[in-house]
Amino acid sequence: MMKIVVTFFIFITFVHGYTYNEVLLKAQASIFPKILLLDKKLKNKLVDGKVVYTIVYEKTDYLTAKEVAKYINTEFANSLEGFTYKINLVEFSELSAHIKTSAFYVLNSEEHISNVAKIAKQMGVISFAYDVSNLKNGLLLSLMLEKSTVLYLNKNNLYTHNIDFVNVFLQMVRFIDES
Amino acid sequence: MKNKKIKSLSTKIVLSTGFISFFAIIAIFTVFEKINKEAFYKIEVEKAELIVSTIEPLVSLNMYLGLDAEVENIALQLIQNPNVLAVEIFTDKKLINQKKSLEYLDEINDSFIVERDIFKPNSSVHLGTIVLVYSSENYNKLIDRYTTLIVILLVILAIVFFIFGAYVKKLLSPLKKIAKSLKNYSPKKKIKIPYIKQNNEIGLISHALNDMQKKILEYSTKQQNINQVLEKTVKEKTLELRQQLYIDTLTGLPNRLSLLNDLSAVKDGALLIINIDDFKEINDFYGHVAGDNILKKFANRLKGMFNDADHIELKRLSGDEFALFFMHKPSLEEFMYIANNLVYHVEKMVFFHENNELAIRVTVGGVFQLDGALEKADIALKSAKKQHKSFLLYDESSNIEEQYKENMEWVKKLKKAIETNNIIPYFQPIFDNQSDKIASYECLIRLIDSDQKVLSPGQFLTIAKKSRLYSKLTKLMVKKSCQYFENIECDFSINMSVEDMLDPEIVEYIKYQLEKYNVSKKIIFEILESEGIENYTEVSAFIKEMKALGCRIAIDDFGSGYSNFEHLLQLNVDYIKIDGTLIKNLDTDREAQIVVETIVDFAKRLGILTVAEFVHNTAINEKVKELFIDRSQGFYLAEPQEKALIAC
Repeated sequence: MMKIVVTFFIFITFVHGYTYNEVLLKAQASIFPKILLLDKKLKNKLVDGKVVYTIVYEKTDYLTAKEVAKYINTEFANSLEGFTYKINLVEFSELSAHIKTSAFYVLNSEEHISNVAKIAKQMGVISFAYDVSNLKNGLLLSLMLEKSTVLYLNKNNLYTHNIDFVNVFLQMVRFIDES
Repeated sequence: MKNKKIKSLSTKIVLSTGFISFFAIIAIFTVFEKINKEAFYKIEVEKAELIVSTIEPLVSLNMYLGLDAEVENIALQLIQNPNVLAVEIFTDKKLINQKKSLEYLDEINDSFIVERDIFKPNSSVHLGTIVLVYSSENYNKLIDRYTTLIVILLVILAIVFFIFGAYVKKLLSPLKKIAKSLKNYSPKKKIKIPYIKQNNEIGLISHALNDMQKKILEYSTKQQNINQVLEKTVKEKTLELRQQLYIDTLTGLPNRLSLLNDLSAVKDGALLIINIDDFKEINDFYGHVAGDNILKKFANRLKGMFNDADHIELKRLSGDEFALFFMHKPSLEEFMYIANNLVYHVEKMVFFHENNELAIRVTVGGVFQLDGALEKADIALKSAKKQHKSFLLYDESSNIEEQYKENMEWVKKLKKAIETNNIIPYFQPIFDNQSDKIASYECLIRLIDSDQKVLSPGQFLTIAKKSRLYSKLTKLMVKKSCQYFENIECDFSINMSVEDMLDPEIVEYIKYQLEKYNVSKKIIFEILESEGIENYTEVSAFIKEMKALGCRIAIDDFGSGYSNFEHLLQLNVDYIKIDGTLIKNLDTDREAQIVVETIVDFAKRLGILTVAEFVHNTAINEKVKELFIDRSQGFYLAEPQEKALIAC
């Protein structure tokens, strides 16, 4: 049954939205929240004492976004290394600079990536991209499954105000230049 | 002088420097080796720890993010390091990753392990442990290189020391040569000292030695000349002294020492000793210059009496004493003739001094053998003088030597007795003939010899007088007698010789003892009449002095001498002790009885008490009483005792 549902969604996506690698989604769902905890200034980003993980998506990717949230919840079971967390699903069209979040997870979009990157930059929060190519549009971090798992970081956003990763994290990422 | 093995100074310097350096290097090497080995080991450990600490955050992050493949990659990268033998990563004691190098098995025994805990990034949560097995190969290589370097250093040092030693030896070798050249040095011999032209310390030494050599040579030459002069002077002085030693300066005759030499050198001969009689009187009367002139003339005339063929040598022994030494023994008749002829000729000699004619006489003692010749001739001379003979030949049978020996023994005995307080008084009581009670005691001298034998004065008094010990005996008797009667209420008498009374020192001593023991009123001085009181004036003075002190005087042995009654009156005596020779046969000898009666009568008229000595039996005792002699003393009544029998 599960397989039928997944196949259906993929089909729908194929017709109406972007195509997403499920393995990559799962990997990103299990690693990106942990990366949040490598930020030494995480406490400044808490919303009402909670880590708010906002998944930004195109209307057509709603199911994918939901699926990601589900993966996260499965992985962390409501507790992110001692922090309670909350996952918000927000469409690109509804996103404004007034949103309260600790980090963005950005699915694919052709038009709105730069806007999200701008808002994230303004807010000083970490923005994770599903697609590594979106780092060139200003998002901060992404992950690819190559021979091994590889983390990419937008070098231009590294010194964004209010983000301070542990040094060793910077040793293991690969840097990407927007230009 | 034995050849001593030379200990090279250069070798000593090099060896001592070498030894010190060697031990210093060994000490430094040992310390450094320990420090360096520890340092090398620490470096390797630190290297291993650095590796672990470097990768630990990455491993931790990867483990945190769950990137196990990355952890695997890190382990694989680590194992590429040739020094890392194995990497093991544990989570809660569960091994999650292990990588071993190919050399692991070969080098596992020569390795060390570094462990480090893995903590979650940005947290203190413990994730696991990383263990690194690190090879010691690098450490061993370092140690090997270090050891090689040290060995090379030691070899270089050894070579340097060897060169240094050789150099020092070479530097000091001139000293050896200089010493060798000096070995046969003597002040008279000039030697060539090497290295004199060298412009260094060796040259300075050589130069100084050369200068010293010159000065020694000069000094030696001077000293040699001085020695020659001194030797000559010493020779002359020795000869002069020898002459002075054996020659009499006044007469030019050989002296006593010369005679002694001749006596010991000649096997048989004879000797005459000639003494000029009363020569002292010539000296005293005409002066010593006249005496010396007569001696010189006498010596010349004696010399003229003999010629060399007679083999008689004239010598001067002392002031007025000459000797004729017969180096060839003549016949006894010839010897006697020469001696008598000598006396005869000397008596005919006349000497002049300032228009005065002086004649001399000589006494000659002779000995017809050389064994103890000088002493025997001297004995013969003294005997001749004693016997008023002009010449006497020493007679072996006369036993004079024995008498001399005996006298000397007695002197010794007397001296010892005085020293050991063995001269003591014995006390003989004198009885009153009316009451038959003891009237007084006579203190008689006794000598206790080494065998505790009591010796009476007849045995030693004559010797004591000759040896001038008599005054000491008198003093002892006065002191001990006075001391004894200090607390005994009884009169006591002490014998006094004229000699004692004439000696002011003894008189003072007596006065001191009388005062000290307060016995002036008890003491009676018995003056020997038998000695013949010639110095009546002095004796009288003594008696007056003593009587003034309360002492009494007795004339001892009265009747034995030639005392006249007039003098007796002058002496003012208290007692007359009638001589024993008159008493001993008083009971039978009528003449003695008449003499005694006269003495007693005379004494009674003068108020003088009479004492009879030598009362030795009842008959005598009865007769003494019958003749009205006041007191009696003798062995019949009581013998002399060590202590007074009873109080008076």
